Amino acid sequence: MKNFSRFARGTGVVLIVLAIWEILGRLELVGQGALPAPTQILAQLWKDRSDYPPHLSVTLKSAGTGFVIGNIIAIIAGAIAARFRIAETLLRGLGMSLFAVPLIAIVPVLLLAFTGTTPRIILAAMAVYFPTYIATMNGMRNVDERLVDVVMVAGGSTTDVLRWIRVRSALPYIVSAFRVAAPAALLGTLLAEFGGGTRWGLGTYLLGSLGQANPSRLWSIGLVATAVAASAYMLFAFIGARLTQSSMSATVQTSLPMGGATGPWWKRLGGGVISAGVVLGLWALVLSILDMSPVVAKSPFAIVRYLTTDPRASVSRSRLFDAYSETLPLALIGLLCGLAAALLLAVILSLRPALGRAVLPFALVSQTMPLPALTPLIVLVFGRSILATVVVCVSVTFFPSFVTILQALATTSPAAIDVVRVSGGGRLKSLRFVGLPGAVPAMVTAARLAAPRALLGVMIAEYLATGDGLGNLLNESRGRLDYGMIWTVATTSVLVAVLITQLFGLAEKLTRQ
Amino acid sequence: MSTLQEVAGGALRVQNVERTFALKDDVVRALDKVSLEVPVGSFISLIGPSGCGKSTLLRLLAGLESPDAGSLLIGDKTPNEMRTAGRLGVAFQDPALMPWRSVWKNITLPLQVMGKPVKDFKTVIEELISLVGLQGFEHALPSQLSGGMRQRVAIARALVTEPEVLLLDEPFGALDEILRRTMNLELQRIWSARRPTTILVTHSIEEAIFLADKVAVMSARPGRIIEIVDVPFERPRVPEIMRSSEFHHLADRLSELLFAGGGH
Ligand SMILES: Nc1ncnc2c1ncn2[C@@H]1O[C@H](COP(=O)(O)OP(=O)(O)OP(=O)(O)O)[C@@H](O)[C@H]1O
Ligand SMILES: [Mg+2]
Repeated sequence: MKNFSRFARGTGVVLIVLAIWEILGRLELVGQGALPAPTQILAQLWKDRSDYPPHLSVTLKSAGTGFVIGNIIAIIAGAIAARFRIAETLLRGLGMSLFAVPLIAIVPVLLLAFTGTTPRIILAAMAVYFPTYIATMNGMRNVDERLVDVVMVAGGSTTDVLRWIRVRSALPYIVSAFRVAAPAALLGTLLAEFGGGTRWGLGTYLLGSLGQANPSRLWSIGLVATAVAASAYMLFAFIGARLTQSSMSATVQTSLPMGGATGPWWKRLGGGVISAGVVLGLWALVLSILDMSPVVAKSPFAIVRYLTTDPRASVSRSRLFDAYSETLPLALIGLLCGLAAALLLAVILSLRPALGRAVLPFALVSQTMPLPALTPLIVLVFGRSILATVVVCVSVTFFPSFVTILQALATTSPAAIDVVRVSGGGRLKSLRFVGLPGAVPAMVTAARLAAPRALLGVMIAEYLATGDGLGNLLNESRGRLDYGMIWTVATTSVLVAVLITQLFGLAEKLTRQ
Repeated sequence: MSTLQEVAGGALRVQNVERTFALKDDVVRALDKVSLEVPVGSFISLIGPSGCGKSTLLRLLAGLESPDAGSLLIGDKTPNEMRTAGRLGVAFQDPALMPWRSVWKNITLPLQVMGKPVKDFKTVIEELISLVGLQGFEHALPSQLSGGMRQRVAIARALVTEPEVLLLDEPFGALDEILRRTMNLELQRIWSARRPTTILVTHSIEEAIFLADKVAVMSARPGRIIEIVDVPFERPRVPEIMRSSEFHHLADRLSELLFAGGGH
């Protein structure tokens, strides 16, 4: 009964919002028609219905292939890392890079090296690697030791433990990582489609529709992309629910055990250097396998030369510097706004649960909408401005931060709250003295998890719309066939992103002490 | 069969075994110079206060851990050799069932680990299931069973490989008194059929006497065996012996030893 009334109220809120949206759209009150009414969007979708199958099938095929390949690699890597500490150290750099890298920075490089839909498949695979890798490793490691004993007593070896226990125990974790990985694969594919490759693909369609002054079409493409991402998510949520009788936490543990290599600082530093070496080694290996012309393909050394001894090095350096000084502050502002919004909603939810619950569905939808499809819509509504970029950033950082903060607020010790209550404080007081201080470390964690998304959000906005910063530099360099810059942006953005997450990781450690 | 021959050679010999655990700023002497002999095919009960090292000793015998000093032998084999040969049956204090496997599949697990074809054991498994009173629950998942039922699955699992050495760590601790008595009788029956060398850890003095040829009493901190008491009753034993004065006498003696050894 209670569930039903809650459901009814939720539906009511959605209907009211749709109605307001319809009025706003019909009267063209937002950005002179930038926000079409829901019925207009559906009408456009119907009109374009024959466009979708070819585009959608190419996108689904690329994303699906990338999803499978990336997950196979991630599961194997995770299993090895669970078994051998040394492998975990070696693979840490790779995982960290793939977690932090703004994928769009890799697109031009992939387009130099591969043709057709291959870049899309690779980018999708890169996008799914990290969540599945972490889930596999944790799932295989954290098994019930008593079950291990049972297998050992029956004469089992470590291989038997792997076969009979570790794989099965890790399964729910892996499936719940798939929930996150499936939309990520779509995101990777869409981003790579922006770069070209073939005439088909939802991303290509979106890019082609950008200049057509037809907001309804952009919205309907966004709607379709969201539907795809949401159904992929729900498919794995469903399988996961069937798999685990006991319910699992709604979020995958994406926190890379940051300094996870515990021990003296020199050991951790050594591990870091070695695992960075692995990434560089992989890079060199791929280049040598692909056998590309050195004019197009740049080794790490070539990039260093490009930025130092090359005759035009100082020009390149200043262009790069200018781009970063445009992009990074925006990403930071967006991240902070996203965190603030997340904190605000989390606080509202803990003070006025009903109010918060009404807002939540919309937060969820904004979460499933693939960023490449969402960005043009935000730009439509807010114009090609800094504001649009910040809004994009907020929309990607908000939800994960919200979940993290809410968990922290929910777990503040009841005893401490009682102390406040006994001294005459109400909900607000206990929030101020107990909840908020407790949420500070969670805010830092949220910042670490959201920082890469913030960077990606800003770069996509720049790439598609505002023509500033790093995103634009990528675009320009492709146009000018400035291969050195293409590789430099890709490499430095990985480095910068990893550095930023590491800094937040450090801050996280300090606040948790 | 040749394996039965090997049962005959498998007396259990524990000599001066020591095991300490390092805690943060403390060391626990879980076992201090423990020695114990269990002849082939005999049944020993192990009683002692909580934390005196009973489970630790069983884990050492199961080859799951190694002693810091001293030796453990089963015949001329180390526990680890016995373990890898799949010749041990162990029921832990905690049922430790795989939550994703049904009752039937939990019982077949040791066979699968040993690489034996499960279908050859179909009748054995069916017998075991009826023995532990779980007919009709073959396809239930552990989460659908009561604590006592789960423990009975664990016992069936320990027996399915027809082990030569049986190590039971408070297998009936979670059962009610009536079921416990029934299970005691059943255990005696199963055990008499093949006579695996058995160590049973229990908190119940009655159970210890009723089932065993000898009862070893341990003391805590440091964990030591302070006395080994013979149980004179003929087999097969019937529940009525528990009312005999001889039984009561023995029980009194054991509880005195327990209290003297720091029990409560
Ligand atoms: N893995 C371990 N690490 C640290 N200490 C341990 C470990 N295992 C056992 N101990 C310690 O060794 C001592 C003996 O433990 P053990 O589990 O063998 O006791 P027990 O006799 O089985 O007790 P109970 O009757 O409560 O099951 C205890 O003090 C326990 O704290
Ligand atoms: Mg114990």
